[in-house]
Amino acid sequence: MNIFRHLLAGLKELVRRDKTESELTEELNSYLQNAAEAKVRAGATPEEALRSARLELGGVETVKHEVRAVGWETALEVFLQDVRYGMRMWLKAPLFTVVALATIAIGIGANTAIFTLVDAILLRPLPYPEPQRLLVAGTHLRGGSGVELISTADFLAWRDRQQSFENIAVVDRSGSNFALSGMGPPERIPGVRVSANFFSVFGVAPLKGRGFRPQEDRPGAPGVVVLSEKFWRDHLDSDPEVLGRTLTLDGKQHTIISVMPAAFSFPPRKPAAMWANLTLSPPAGRPPYALLAFGRFKPGISPRTAEAELNEITAQVTAQYPNSDDLVAVTEPMKEWMVSDISTALLVLLGAIGLLLLIVIVNVTNLLLARATARQSEVALRMALGASRMRVVRQLLTESTVLSLMGGALGLLLAFGAVRAFLAFGPGQMPRLEEVSINPGVLLVTFVVCVGCGILFGLAPALETSRPSMSGTLKGTTRSSSSSAPVHRTHRTLLVFEVALGLVLMIGSGLLIRSFVRLSGVNPGVRADHVITAAISLSGKYSDPPQIQQFWQQYLEKVQSLPGVSAAGITMSLPPNLLLITNPFMVEGQSFDRHLQQQLAEEMAVSPDYFRAMGIPLIKGRFFSPSEKVEGRKDPRIVIINETMAKQYFSGKDPIGSRIQTGEPDPNGPWETIVGVVGDAKYSGLDSSPAPTLYVPYNEYGWVTWSRDMYLVVRSSGNAQELVPAIRSQLASMDGTLPLAQVRTMEELLDESLVQQRFRTWLITSFAAIALLLSAIGLYALISYSVSQRTREIGVRVALGAQRGNVLRMVLREGLQLLGFGLLLGLLGAFLATRVIRSLLYSTSATDALSFIATSLTLFAVALLACYIPARRATKVDPVVALRYE
Amino acid sequence: MPDKNTALVQGTLDMLILKALALEPMHAYGIGLRIEQISQGVFQINPGSLFPAFKRLERAGWVDGEWRATENNRRARYYILTSLGRKQLKAETRDWKAQSIAITRILEA
Repeated sequence: MNIFRHLLAGLKELVRRDKTESELTEELNSYLQNAAEAKVRAGATPEEALRSARLELGGVETVKHEVRAVGWETALEVFLQDVRYGMRMWLKAPLFTVVALATIAIGIGANTAIFTLVDAILLRPLPYPEPQRLLVAGTHLRGGSGVELISTADFLAWRDRQQSFENIAVVDRSGSNFALSGMGPPERIPGVRVSANFFSVFGVAPLKGRGFRPQEDRPGAPGVVVLSEKFWRDHLDSDPEVLGRTLTLDGKQHTIISVMPAAFSFPPRKPAAMWANLTLSPPAGRPPYALLAFGRFKPGISPRTAEAELNEITAQVTAQYPNSDDLVAVTEPMKEWMVSDISTALLVLLGAIGLLLLIVIVNVTNLLLARATARQSEVALRMALGASRMRVVRQLLTESTVLSLMGGALGLLLAFGAVRAFLAFGPGQMPRLEEVSINPGVLLVTFVVCVGCGILFGLAPALETSRPSMSGTLKGTTRSSSSSAPVHRTHRTLLVFEVALGLVLMIGSGLLIRSFVRLSGVNPGVRADHVITAAISLSGKYSDPPQIQQFWQQYLEKVQSLPGVSAAGITMSLPPNLLLITNPFMVEGQSFDRHLQQQLAEEMAVSPDYFRAMGIPLIKGRFFSPSEKVEGRKDPRIVIINETMAKQYFSGKDPIGSRIQTGEPDPNGPWETIVGVVGDAKYSGLDSSPAPTLYVPYNEYGWVTWSRDMYLVVRSSGNAQELVPAIRSQLASMDGTLPLAQVRTMEELLDESLVQQRFRTWLITSFAAIALLLSAIGLYALISYSVSQRTREIGVRVALGAQRGNVLRMVLREGLQLLGFGLLLGLLGAFLATRVIRSLLYSTSATDALSFIATSLTLFAVALLACYIPARRATKVDPVVALRYE
Repeated sequence: MPDKNTALVQGTLDMLILKALALEPMHAYGIGLRIEQISQGVFQINPGSLFPAFKRLERAGWVDGEWRATENNRRARYYILTSLGRKQLKAETRDWKAQSIAITRILEA
């Protein structure tokens, strides 16, 4: 009520400012007249009466000022006046303003861009109703860690017996694409198979149509599919009659039952264009483990209780399959599961950008300090005319905030560009990218940061300039350096910090660069040149093993016979990071203990020529031969192992002819005989440590049905890229519904596997470069300023016989002192700070000496140059000119 | 605002103005005169502090300003106590009495 009245009255006054002013003048005049008349009646002359009445009032203008100060609207007017004045001041010093604005724009822009990512990916809740009740559930071996995939047996038991969840669903992680045919050329569409209650877990209703029905994940259910809004729009022109139409996915008819809203996206990183029903048959055994579970626990249940219940059920399943692994159930909040691997990198980026912003603030503070000395006489004049220190500080702070906001506005433009560039680069690298946007929340944070910065870098200069003992300034003795000594001290202290912060950033970037160089130099174990790869998935109509084997054999023969092809093979997994499965194994003679952590090997089915096509060298024994085709359970099985496995498990023995067993341990199960040893190749990323790898013939019994989704690997004698049309037409000549997807050269695959590391290294390095530049500018400005302050002193020294070398040393000494302190502080800071990036480094210590030394030297060299230029100018001081100047 | 000439207790000027206006609407000069007269010259009102006080009271809604002709036919701004102002005066008077009794007791104890 009261506030309302004040607000309203203030607004009224703002509107009718002139009237209020004239009324006040009239009222004061009438008062003076009354007072004067009274004095005349008491015997004074009219002139005297008016004069003493005025004196009693204490100055008409002062009273007016005090009356105006009662309302809030005056504060606003003063503020606007300061803003206008500030703008004019900045326009008067264009060079200074451009440098300051550019510095602020870079700092604020980079901050806003990174904060936008952190906000969308880490801070905001997931875009589902009550996301805090969503859990991801999986299992791992007792003593293991992480949420790993579960079996159908475990999921069915969970679904039917659990009480803690409103809904629990699974997604099939063994496939992430569908081959879409019948709509133009065959195409691979990102898509997953999910259980019937999948959408109920998320609590998101379709845009149109219905959700899955419970019976639609039972065995024998007809194929149904839910489309993403994007697929519906791009592929079906947002057909309003889309429901009930059918799509051919992996060669099987699926009826479209609904379209999801655009905001729904799953899985993270590689959002699906469609979700089809997964049919879950009661399993014969516990493996394979290919499902990931999601649940929404009931209100009032704790995630711990829910996990304990799932664990109990998993124990029952383990008891049901006595030969299977001893698994425990684990859950993780869905958001953590989505972002955990990216959060360190993002937070490091945020930290780095925070450092950069601090450097920006220090630099702008120093610019303003240098300028403050130039404005000392103006400020001193104002204060002599009666402006209070408060009033002057307020005006100077308004000016710096105006500067900061203008810089921030430019920075926002930069940030918009940066975020857009990031979104173009990012898909597949980061989760939740579809939620990234510069939203009002981010804008608010940017605004607050701008105002905060404006006050921060304005405060020291404002306090210095408005120091009360400024009488000397008016007298014109500015040139004697004593009056600006405190300014200079603040200036120098800040510069030490700037150098230190810059060094911390540079060392961080040095470590990342070194780690990246090491990572790029890792031998992938293959000869990457002249190799083209592509993904081919056989559709559902290739169901029995002979059919599948026949297809591959014929296709490989056709590709092999193409001109320019020197070798062609197929494989389930591709270097350097497209590993499909790992399998437990046992070497003959080892005893089995189900409670021990299993020994795991990367295992993949390959065709005989895969090794030649990929350039994986044979070390011992032989490759598979094309004639080997094993049809029955009784036939002998063969396997090729890699060097690491040979060293780890057959040290001193000849592995050739030894036998191993893979999968579920089974005393009566078949043994596999090792026929060859090949060189190590990376399948779990270039940064992975060497692991045992097993290769089996793709056409071996038990593996053929797994071999419907394969990568084709072709080595060419010329340009590998030129083979693609022929490879594609050969595929079309065999089956027109099969797409040739993910066509990449091996070099591209290697390159793409490092995209995240390259990106963050590049980003932090550019921050560090900016920091280096800003520190150099800061030092340069300080030394130049110092030289200009000491021109007279230098002139006297030269006049008294100082040599140019002496002058140079004297000026450089000042810079070197600051630099030395800064470097020392920076090294100390870096020792403490770099440990946070330890997890991002590949075979590089967080205190890697070379990075520390090399970056310190770089900073030292650049900073020295920045000091040297003004120092050299000092040596050119002409004593005659300098002394006359006084 | 520093009040150099008067020994007015901080914050009492507003109350005194309200009291002066309780009898009849008055203009600025009249109010100053009235306070001096009633206090028998103990309180010398600094005219410079009267005007900000008027604006404060108007903002609070305790007085209204109005241009009227004076007794010698000149225009002057008269201040009128509103009913809200009357209430405020009553409350302030009550508080003041309670406080001054307490202070007197303390000083005489």
